[in-house]
Amino acid sequence: MSPALLSVEGLRVGFRSADGGIVEAVRGVDFSVAPGEAVGIVGESGSGKSLSMLAVMRLLGAPARVTGGRVVFDGEDLVAADEKRMRALRGRDIAMVFQDPQSSLNPALTIGRQITDVVRAHRDVSATEARRIAAESLERVGIRDAGKRLASYPHEFSGGMRQRALIAMAIACRPRLLIADEPTTALDVTVQAQIVDLIAELRRELGLAVVFISHNLQLVAEIVDRVVVMYGGKVVEDGPVEAIERGPRHPYTGLLKACVPSLSGPVGPLTAIEGAPPRLGRLPAGCPFSPRCPDAIETCAREMPALIAEAGHRTACWRPR
Amino acid sequence: MTGPILALRGVSKSFPQGGLLDRLLGRDSRLVALDDVSLDVMRGDVVGVVGESGSGKSTLASLAVGLARPTLGDVLLDGQSMAELMRDHAGLWRRRVQMVFQDSSSALNPRKSVDRCLGETLALRGVPRAGRESEIAELLTLVGLGPEIGPRLPHELSGGQRQRIGLARALAMKPEVLIADEPVSALDVSLQAQVINLLSRLTRELGLTLLFISHDLALVRTLCSRIVVMRKGAIVEQGACLDVLDRPQHPYTQTLIAAVPKGLAGRRKTWPAPSAVAPETREDIHGAA
Amino acid sequence: MSELRKALRGLDWSGWLGAVIVGLIVAAAILAPLIAPYDPLALNIEDRLTAPDAKHWLGTDQAGRDVLSRILFGARASLSVGIGAVLIGAAIGVSAGVLAAYRGGLGEQIVMRVVDGVASIPLLVWAIAIVGILGVGPLPVGPLLLPNEVKIIVLVGCLFSPVFARVTYAVAKRIAGADYVRARFLQGASHWQIVIGDVLPNCLSPIIVQGTLLVAIGIVIEASISFVGLGVQPPQPSWGTMLSDARSAIYSGEWWLPVFPGLAISLTVIGFNLLGDAVRELFDPRSEARTLVA
Repeated sequence: MSPALLSVEGLRVGFRSADGGIVEAVRGVDFSVAPGEAVGIVGESGSGKSLSMLAVMRLLGAPARVTGGRVVFDGEDLVAADEKRMRALRGRDIAMVFQDPQSSLNPALTIGRQITDVVRAHRDVSATEARRIAAESLERVGIRDAGKRLASYPHEFSGGMRQRALIAMAIACRPRLLIADEPTTALDVTVQAQIVDLIAELRRELGLAVVFISHNLQLVAEIVDRVVVMYGGKVVEDGPVEAIERGPRHPYTGLLKACVPSLSGPVGPLTAIEGAPPRLGRLPAGCPFSPRCPDAIETCAREMPALIAEAGHRTACWRPR
Repeated sequence: MTGPILALRGVSKSFPQGGLLDRLLGRDSRLVALDDVSLDVMRGDVVGVVGESGSGKSTLASLAVGLARPTLGDVLLDGQSMAELMRDHAGLWRRRVQMVFQDSSSALNPRKSVDRCLGETLALRGVPRAGRESEIAELLTLVGLGPEIGPRLPHELSGGQRQRIGLARALAMKPEVLIADEPVSALDVSLQAQVINLLSRLTRELGLTLLFISHDLALVRTLCSRIVVMRKGAIVEQGACLDVLDRPQHPYTQTLIAAVPKGLAGRRKTWPAPSAVAPETREDIHGAA
Repeated sequence: MSELRKALRGLDWSGWLGAVIVGLIVAAAILAPLIAPYDPLALNIEDRLTAPDAKHWLGTDQAGRDVLSRILFGARASLSVGIGAVLIGAAIGVSAGVLAAYRGGLGEQIVMRVVDGVASIPLLVWAIAIVGILGVGPLPVGPLLLPNEVKIIVLVGCLFSPVFARVTYAVAKRIAGADYVRARFLQGASHWQIVIGDVLPNCLSPIIVQGTLLVAIGIVIEASISFVGLGVQPPQPSWGTMLSDARSAIYSGEWWLPVFPGLAISLTVIGFNLLGDAVRELFDPRSEARTLVA
């Protein structure tokens, strides 16, 4: 196995709570991303998936902060890196695309200006060269008449085009890792399908490693190699997409698959996961899923199972399926 | 054979666009949200209305519930024109048709406890003070919640609980027709299934007619007996749910079905050359708006 | 009551400071006849212009009147203008703002254009201009004769009403479009029930915050128009007239004449501002939950 491009080791993120204590939302997360690999991080709200990746980018805002662990990117610990170094890495080596393309773009600047700004911040190129790179990036994400579109403002773009423009901005400096945080949640389904295809294509063409954060297992399974399932601030399962899709071992993953209906097969009541997603600070001592788990035994609530690897498939469960 | 409980007859709805100056100069244009839509909903039907943003499905919902009036055409409740009903006994129309909203955080008054929210609703239905407490308990049981939730404020509830309260509030009016506008799209997937199963059970048990507005074809397939596919303010296809989804006739329905994530089965084996990037279907349709 | 207690516990130190300052000043104004050491109007030529000492803690003015007593009684004029004007302004402005937001249409246009018009000129300039036009002294309104002080309260209240209207309108517009208002409408609730039961309660916190801040502004306006001689008339004490009388003292060295009324004004304004900021925090029903949003 090749050395990891990104390796998250025992990452913890906490909030300072009103009474002065620390409430942890990410509680010791381990996973790695190989160069060129696409990894999906799947989880519901409160699972800590977005916070983990914001911590990787060192974009956590107060009151959240990293309370432990390491984030190693290309041999360098990002948790310990200074802010100047992070600014150099962000956008150049690691790029991020967010959920809401509307608020990620500056409405007062043209699309072209926003892309060239990124390019010139990281590469020593002339204005003309930066514009050429910007146009090329827009072209690459499937926006036609890219040269002309550089002069457009964000409001002249549809939601899908804005997300494409943001992806163009992200790939303009040829990063090695693209982190996409629910990039299609705000979009219509047909546009969602296009954006997902686009990310898959870019990955193949540019050899990008991709971390795709989503609440939709079916969606990430279309484009990733490996799926990391998070629940209650912990990784509960991590394995090749085929294995996760065909035979999930953690009951949560299984239920997550089952509660999303498909367009084929018999129609009947949906499999529901009873109870509500965990609330910060109210997690059981053991497995965070144990209060909702149909398979839970006494041990589950008491002790957190270790993440045990078996043929490249890791599961944290006392009673894996 | 009785007629439809809810019917739209040639309904159009448009909104003026542009500022006051544009209107004075005669440069105003109108945004057409619904264009000549006709739809019959029979008593006890569970109808899924699907479409993307700009399809007019939410406008259809607000017309059906009486929050908006059609620009052209008429909406009929049990054969009676909305225009007439609203003039004579506005309250009557409103009570017979109730709505469950998409955003559960904006659907409940942040300063009213669950008990107060439901109690006020019952008061408007004319339930005497003495009977309200027991009926609130019944409503909470109906939507799968316990009485301990009564004194809580909306922000002390989870998204799924709030959505159940929104449903209980609608049911408190004993409506004949329930309009649910994307009721689960803001919920986590594990909670979506709970609410969908609840809706399914309630429509069956209470004999409700349900208009389920959604962008999620798979949910519609699970819940609905009929489906209406909308695009750009018009109905492009409708029929029995399974028929339409298994054998879609209209190309747009086919596009929608193709776009549903399918997991491993949806993986593309071959990738098109970079020059043949997927066409900008939606962008082309809607322009740059 | 338990909610109020919970709210008080939620006050931070600056909120407490504001509450204490405001409380002391209000108490001083109410209890002035009991706690003032001297009659604020009593002339005493022998003791004129004495510096602060054991007999006159804050000294005496040119007519030998006790400065401390005058400040205590002056608080009545200042606070009654500040609080009275805010109550009048809120009554007019909140109604106009809510109705404009809820009903929309022509009324909305008219109300909001008036609000914009008033807002284009500073309140203090309006106040001085209008008092200047109306003239000093009681104002006859039909058969009634509005006493001078009441006239000023009503005038400043009217000037405050557009500020309240604007604040209320901005919040009410958003709330009038919220789904819970739609739901009430669908239940057949009357417009009156919706406005009183759902729209207004959710507009309250910015209105109360605005109100506390405007009390401070009202006090400054009262002091300003009294300072230029258009407000409270001598010999009645008011912080503004005291400052006005102290103008000559600035050069002749009687520092206590301008300093103490000035301090009284500053302290009151600071107190209400601190309180206003704290109240803003308290009135958000989600303020506790907000710290823990993932």
